[in-house]
Amino acid sequence: MAREISQAIVDGILIGGVYALMAAGLTLIFGVLDIINIAQGVLVILGAYLSYSLFTKAHIDVFVGLLITVPAMFIIGVVIHWAFIRRLRGTERTSMTLLVTYAVALIIEGILYKVYGANFVQINAPSTNQTVHVFGFYIEYIYIYGFIMAVALVVALYALLYRTRFGRSVRATMQDETAARLVGIDVNRVAALTFGIGVAVTAAGGMVYGATNSFNANSGYDLISRLLAIIILGGMGSLGGALGAAVFMITLESVVTIWYPTWAVAVFYAALVLVLVFRPNGFFGQKAVRAQ
Amino acid sequence: MSTSTDMVSVSTDEAPGAGRRSSVLKAAGLLVLAIIVIAFPKVYSNPSVTNYGVFALIYVTVASAWNIFSGNTGYISLGMAVFYGSGAYALGAAASAWHFTGTSAFALLPFAAVVGAIIAVPFGLIALRVRRHTFIVITIAVFFIFQLMAFNLSFTHGTIGMNAPFISWPSSGYNTPFYYIALAIAAGTIAIAWLIRRSRFGLQLRAIRDDEDRARGLGVRTMRVKLSAFVISGAIAAMIGSVWFLYIGQVQPNTGFDPLFDLTIVLMAFLGGYGSIAGTVLGALIVEPATLWLNTQPQFSGGYLSEILLGGVFLIVVLFMPRGIIPTGGEWITRLRSRGRPAVIPATTIGGPKATGSVSATSIGSGSPGGAR
Amino acid sequence: MRASLPWFSRNAIALSAVALSVGVLAACSSSGSSSSSSSSPSSSASATSSANATPITIGASLSLTGDFSADGQAFQKGYQLWAKDVNAAGGIDGRQVKLTFLNDASSPNQVVTNYQTLINTDHVNLTFGPFSSLLTGPASAVAARSGYAFIEGAGGAPSVFQTPQNQADHMVFDVSLPVADEIMPFVNYIASLPASERPKTAAYPMADDPFADPPVQLAEQKLSALGVKTVYSNVFPAEPSSYTPQADNVAGKNPDVVILGSTDVPTVAAFMKAFETNHYTPKWFVAASGPDQGSAFISAVGAGNADGIMVPNGWYPGYNNAASQKMVSEYIAQYGGSASGVNADVAEAYAVGQVAQQAITATGGTDNAKIIAYLHSGVTLNSVQGPVKFDSLGENGASAAFMFQWQGKGSKFVQVLPQGASGTIAIIKKSPWGSS
Repeated sequence: MAREISQAIVDGILIGGVYALMAAGLTLIFGVLDIINIAQGVLVILGAYLSYSLFTKAHIDVFVGLLITVPAMFIIGVVIHWAFIRRLRGTERTSMTLLVTYAVALIIEGILYKVYGANFVQINAPSTNQTVHVFGFYIEYIYIYGFIMAVALVVALYALLYRTRFGRSVRATMQDETAARLVGIDVNRVAALTFGIGVAVTAAGGMVYGATNSFNANSGYDLISRLLAIIILGGMGSLGGALGAAVFMITLESVVTIWYPTWAVAVFYAALVLVLVFRPNGFFGQKAVRAQ
Repeated sequence: MSTSTDMVSVSTDEAPGAGRRSSVLKAAGLLVLAIIVIAFPKVYSNPSVTNYGVFALIYVTVASAWNIFSGNTGYISLGMAVFYGSGAYALGAAASAWHFTGTSAFALLPFAAVVGAIIAVPFGLIALRVRRHTFIVITIAVFFIFQLMAFNLSFTHGTIGMNAPFISWPSSGYNTPFYYIALAIAAGTIAIAWLIRRSRFGLQLRAIRDDEDRARGLGVRTMRVKLSAFVISGAIAAMIGSVWFLYIGQVQPNTGFDPLFDLTIVLMAFLGGYGSIAGTVLGALIVEPATLWLNTQPQFSGGYLSEILLGGVFLIVVLFMPRGIIPTGGEWITRLRSRGRPAVIPATTIGGPKATGSVSATSIGSGSPGGAR
Repeated sequence: MRASLPWFSRNAIALSAVALSVGVLAACSSSGSSSSSSSSPSSSASATSSANATPITIGASLSLTGDFSADGQAFQKGYQLWAKDVNAAGGIDGRQVKLTFLNDASSPNQVVTNYQTLINTDHVNLTFGPFSSLLTGPASAVAARSGYAFIEGAGGAPSVFQTPQNQADHMVFDVSLPVADEIMPFVNYIASLPASERPKTAAYPMADDPFADPPVQLAEQKLSALGVKTVYSNVFPAEPSSYTPQADNVAGKNPDVVILGSTDVPTVAAFMKAFETNHYTPKWFVAASGPDQGSAFISAVGAGNADGIMVPNGWYPGYNNAASQKMVSEYIAQYGGSASGVNADVAEAYAVGQVAQQAITATGGTDNAKIIAYLHSGVTLNSVQGPVKFDSLGENGASAAFMFQWQGKGSKFVQVLPQGASGTIAIIKKSPWGSS
């Protein structure tokens, strides 16, 4: 029993890392730009498919392939923002972003169906299949790499947000868009770039997800609901919170699975509701710094 | 933009006779609409056509119920499916437990509404305490909790789902009664929405939407008001969900609690005009039949094409008519009508004390110095 | 904000009425017949024997997008292959077959709309079933109300036959193997082994699904009666964040046999991956569904890993039946790949067409009432999946359950049970992962 529990905890932490990778971009976008990016799930799948194609067609190692997919997804993110989201205005902007990103998700999903068909695939790269024997059970290296990437990403994004001028303009925009404009920050450019970064991060999440799960164009829907729950629990805009929340929720689900698998997923969402009752801003969310 | 609207509305159209004329027009329009809607299944009695009517009316009801809460308070709820599915399961469980077979199952519709209201109370008490953005995600989380309960609790029979009481009407006469029942519920919902809008309750709701803190400061019991609207909205959704259950004949955890259900409703509301009763109705009348119909055309049924098309159409509409059809349409018409009319009427041509409110309005609108804004 | 709305908004209701009526009129006129429906489907078509030119129209709604899209598209290919073969041979009684497919996106509202359209607007002669037990219920109710027979190949869960509509009208016919007994050949095989060779322990992880669970639960019941100890038996949700935790639990118990109640390829792939990670190899690994999807399975798990995995089904590409072999070679000619890559759904769909064809020929037309009576008359029909004979509920009582296994590094999908049946070859034990 102790072995099972410890394995479940380790599983939970590592899988939580994968989810954190996928959620990091979402919390940045939601926290900074007030955009509910429903397309995030499908974008993860797009990143997974890109890594898959690079691996199977061009035989590029999945980690090396990130050098291509991350910038590619960044550009896709910037384009999506510039083409569709930039024009949204008004008091109901957040709800509009919900609809716009949903429409974008539909289009991307349709394109993925056309290009790849409906069959499930998985990235079966050799580097992702090695295991390490620790604590009496086995862990796949890919999960460890994914977790390390998640932590590294959080650190990198923190550095970006708190140590660079660009980061300062992002934080300024987050706190008060009008004031930011008044001090000369090009809010549109900041928004587009932030959205692009949020999407670029999903390339890494997609690669790890695609290496650990079979997926097809339809797999994005299951993801987005969990990702939303994670970022709310962690506090919107908080990268560390996303990591912490992902690890917490997935570990909880993983441990409960030992006894009640069918209820474990419900526990996931119930935990969210419970935490929000007592801490409406999530674990690490900032107090409301701007009006709703 | 708003100034031009004000200018037009302060012009001759608002002369005393016009008010009466427009309400007569409105009543006539409503009468025409009522006749069309009631006669529809008699004129077009092919079941595949009345089928669209049934689904359209179901979604008109849900969207209008959504609007009663989310349209008025500004709290976007993505949890209507919680009530919809619960209503379906409630009717199914009650029908089998209390032996309501066949058409007697319709007597359980109020029961479904009560179940919806009961669920809405704790749901609302938890969810309405948080900020608006968090509220959206809480509704999503509660939705998934309910879907998972439907999978796992024993009385819901898991993935098999529940079968509705068997209604043995023949094909030619099956859709029409459902149409009228849905129509009655839809009409009732629209009436409730309209009454709320005209009432003090509605004013309080919209005050919450505009500035909740100020509303609270002015003495509005915000939690009570929000919760009441939430409960009304939930009860209606549960009732129409049970109608849907009887029509389809079956409910399963992922059909009664469908993740895309709420997104579709939000789309309908925004398409037609967020916050407007007629707009929400129009949005539902357009979106639901259109999406169903699109898939019945074999050239679009090829899978990915319909998704790309659907997404593309949504994008175009949301981007170019961001306030919805009704408000944007209104703006376009207004702009058309006021084309050619001078923005400022020079004082000299009007002359004398006959320069009534219209002149002062235009001179204010043109931004002359000292004009009260 | 709204001091006063423009007149358009104030009269929105009236204008909506106008807009709506126009729209509806347009839709009705474009869809052809808007007159009152007839509930008896084209019985006129069978009346005139000289109606050689009138094609036989058959309508089906399939999941071409959404959760079941991989299967839905395979089904479509099966139906199309059948129609092509029939038409190439001159049609049924001289009449060409014309298929209409609509996408239901795995949604019950759409499936109901689709069948109402097919029946009442397009007036198809016959209806074929959609994919998945979950959609068959509402769809068959629509068909039943109009008196149509509902021949399908993918809705085999008991819940399909227990809908009140079917219990009243008995018009659902499933040509494929009823699921409840499908793992029995494996149980019988274990029973036939001497006690020393039998497995000692078994695990039964099951996805929450009416299609996957009944056979696994029956197998558990029978195997424990034979003395095989159950070390793990649990239902897991259809969509967990990750399958790894429960797969790890199973691996941790080290059972000799794993019988996985899966419904799709990703579940099997995830369990296989986790077993491999844990360096755990079951001696026998049976999955309820997934490995029978041919290349769709191999592309997800990798050819080397597939060996030894067993799956029950009523059919496989190597089936020694002339019509089946012809269908397989045509499929390969059109879509490429190898015989083992043919998805079992293709055969299920093809069989539906064949059963309909035989019924039409026997009853001399497309009168659905006659077809229903004929199919319930106890007659045995042929199909690429073997013999078909319907019981009173509409299940195929004549189908035999087989167990199939991947061998030869994912290159061959062969029949291994029941032992002694024609075409059976030897079972291989699952070799440790990565060794192949």
